[in-house]
Amino acid sequence: MRSTIAVEPLQSVSWLRQHWHYGAVLLQLFAIVIVLRQFQIENGAFREVSVLAFAGFAIHYFLPMRYRLPFFAGLSVTAAILVLGFANGLWLLGFGFTLLGICHLPLPMWVRVALLCGVGLLAAAAKLQWIPGPWSQAIWPILASMFMFRIVVYLYDMRHEKPSLARSISYFFMLPNVCFPMFPVVDYKGFRRTYYDADEHQIYQTGVDWMVRGIVQLILYRAIYFYWTLSPGDVIDPDTMTQYLVANFLLYLRISGDFHLITGMLHLFGFNLIPTHHLYCLSSSFTDFWRRINIYWKDFMMKIFYYPLFFRLRKHGEVPAIIVATMIVFALTWLLHSYQWFWLRGDFPIIWQDAVFWMGLAVLVVFGAVREFKHGRSRTLGTTQESRRDMVLRGLRTVGVFLAICVLWSIWTSESIVHWISIWSFLWRGIPDGGSPFPLLLAAICVVVFIGAVIFGRESAATQFIALGNGFRLPRATVETVLLLGLIVPVGLPQVYTHFGADVANVIVSLRSGGLSRADAAALERGYYEGLTRVNRFNSQLWEVYMDRPAGGLMEVGGSGLTRLRDDFLQTELARGYRSETKHGAIETNQWGMRDGMYTLEPAGNVVRGVILGFSTVMGWGVEQNETFEAVLEERINRRLTEISDQRFELLNLAVPGYRPPQQVMALEEGLKFSPDVVFYTAAGREQWNTIKFLAETVSKGVEIPYPDLAALLAEAGVDSDMSETEVLQRLKPHDDTLVAWVYDRIAQRCMALGIRPVWIYVPPLFPTAEEPEEHERARRLAQAAGFEIVDLSGVFDGRDPASLSLEEWDRHPTAAAHAMIAGGLYEAMAEHPGDFGLPGL
Amino acid sequence: MTNDPIESTVKDFILEEFLPGERPDALTADTALVTEGILDSLATLRLVSFLEKQYKISIAPHEVDPEYLDTLPRIAALVRSKLG
Repeated sequence: MRSTIAVEPLQSVSWLRQHWHYGAVLLQLFAIVIVLRQFQIENGAFREVSVLAFAGFAIHYFLPMRYRLPFFAGLSVTAAILVLGFANGLWLLGFGFTLLGICHLPLPMWVRVALLCGVGLLAAAAKLQWIPGPWSQAIWPILASMFMFRIVVYLYDMRHEKPSLARSISYFFMLPNVCFPMFPVVDYKGFRRTYYDADEHQIYQTGVDWMVRGIVQLILYRAIYFYWTLSPGDVIDPDTMTQYLVANFLLYLRISGDFHLITGMLHLFGFNLIPTHHLYCLSSSFTDFWRRINIYWKDFMMKIFYYPLFFRLRKHGEVPAIIVATMIVFALTWLLHSYQWFWLRGDFPIIWQDAVFWMGLAVLVVFGAVREFKHGRSRTLGTTQESRRDMVLRGLRTVGVFLAICVLWSIWTSESIVHWISIWSFLWRGIPDGGSPFPLLLAAICVVVFIGAVIFGRESAATQFIALGNGFRLPRATVETVLLLGLIVPVGLPQVYTHFGADVANVIVSLRSGGLSRADAAALERGYYEGLTRVNRFNSQLWEVYMDRPAGGLMEVGGSGLTRLRDDFLQTELARGYRSETKHGAIETNQWGMRDGMYTLEPAGNVVRGVILGFSTVMGWGVEQNETFEAVLEERINRRLTEISDQRFELLNLAVPGYRPPQQVMALEEGLKFSPDVVFYTAAGREQWNTIKFLAETVSKGVEIPYPDLAALLAEAGVDSDMSETEVLQRLKPHDDTLVAWVYDRIAQRCMALGIRPVWIYVPPLFPTAEEPEEHERARRLAQAAGFEIVDLSGVFDGRDPASLSLEEWDRHPTAAAHAMIAGGLYEAMAEHPGDFGLPGL
Repeated sequence: MTNDPIESTVKDFILEEFLPGERPDALTADTALVTEGILDSLATLRLVSFLEKQYKISIAPHEVDPEYLDTLPRIAALVRSKLG
């Protein structure tokens, strides 16, 4: 008995010593859950799956080894149902098991491949909705990301081994995949071979390290996307060019961040997978770049296409075999990206930008590969020192490769060849006002990359350790993880970041959620009028928005017949007597071409009449006519007036979707025909951008500018009629305030000359860009200087979740509830100074 | 120092072709040649070419994989499996 009592404490200590790692990992996972919530990393589905995964890990840790893989398989299947719902989850699993079942049919391989192709074609038809079915369209991108490439690898490896059921289910439905339509092409053999191939605690900690690295990359991505990306129109000198190119490339952090999260999570269940990326910004050659960026894709292409092609072609010589196999691999990469895009968005883009990027990279890689094959390259086991000369040369090569990749990447992501050429136009047209010839940012980037290459560029992917004394050492990545979590968790707390001042707090708030950059916000808006813009960059927030957009969502204005073209400066107007039903209600226009009730040309004697100038929100896109803030305000004012007098108030809605500030100058003339007492000009944010964008489009289309003073301002800015739209934008950008001031002065002066009161109303966007507060403030000052009465509704949506006030994820027009809030804010402002609006009795 | 003649020959080749100047004892039986990036795809193809010429064997495309080529013992095992 004494010996039993003596053994128990020793067993407890031993258990603790053995399992303290478990506690440490759980603690870090708990911190990760907090960070995922604080910073709204990825989407709600992923955050739910993370909690499931971490809870699953807590149980999985104690399971006997033979139960762990089946447990993971079960967890993965559960995640599919949790995210997609019971019915759609079952459809996904059903289609998936059908594909898996075909792989295992006792038939020759070519028959199985043919069957899979047949099923694939049926799935494609279902994706395009040629075959109706009870499933949601949301399952196709997920099913495709699970099977479209991995089934190829699986069949390839099945020729030489027989997989178990649990492993197969785990491989295809692996836990995080249900949240990610973009998923790394995990190699089957690698998946099998690396399963618990090292100390389990080391594997789990590596997983945590990678997840934290992924989170950091995603936060960095947001910062770059929101604050640092530029549109081509912003590029006016070497430094804005550098910013445009580098920020554009660094948006790839979105992909590498996601892939780190995914593979890190898989580590928690024993899959000791290789890294997906390795310091790709520090590549010293194009071949090196191909090896470091998206390593899983590279390995997939090498295994399935490159090696079989090389072996087949090498009888003609090894160097020719390398050249041909490499070119074919890149051509197939191009094709397979379009194939992937089909499953995500339903089209198969074949565009010159993709061709130039992939084949251009192919040529560069081929040159490097042939050179390496013939002359070798420097490798190390860590026992030799690199000479200073070699280190400097490697650093310089890395800078060159980085800049070249940024340029190539900019071709890939450009909207058109004209856009791409425009960003270089300052080289032959000169640097416009506001630009600087000194490439300071370029120099700084080169120095940073050079130093990074010297310090980190020669590191292998093997684990690096930091000695902590007394023979104790930790992987460097783990030390970084603990420090980063220790920093990010508190910084993300409102109780902490509000202590750093408004500017810092606003930055942290913006990083806590995924807003659109200014360029993407403009593209989203343009999408309402011109159909879906070319949103095929996987790293764009806008891409995410459009992923959810159903085909033929709320009708686009452009093709609906609601607006019709004009030959003059206005360019569009609302059709008269139009009617159409939409899922958000009817849209009707009256005999004057307004979306409003019936009004006479002249107001009656007891009527105070206002006209409101605006755009799609003011017109009431997505709400019924009587739900627009204009209609709600008019009704509320008249209800009040009825109680106190026989005065009436009429507010005529002259808003037209797509109108930008300069168009309101001409639209005002239409409004003046109705003898208003008050003119309301609605500003929606991005007044400066919308002004110069409209003028750039107008000039590039060759539309005549009917205002000599405006034409003079454009000439002063160096605008030429043979410039592209992007070049005109670059010229106008430094003069944006001057041009907005022209619009405001014009409208205000015209009104005041006729005894009409001009009122400037600011309706804040539901999802403001980073530049919005500063641009709004500048516009407000300009409006005040012009003589407008100011009604600033900046805080009208405070305290409400913007997502609940917008029509859809992909259509950010305000709902009826938001319109009611705007109307309420306007009424309060008018009731404070009723005399200013000709309504003393209000 | 390995006693296996095949491992020894392969090790000498790798040191001479891809790791000139490195200490021979740093390349051990546990060194993960492929997964740690010491042998990239081009180096792997040159290694395959060497093995085929040296031992008069034929290596299949699916054997260009870490499972067969990641360490010296695995490379030697692959060669021995071909020699019969």
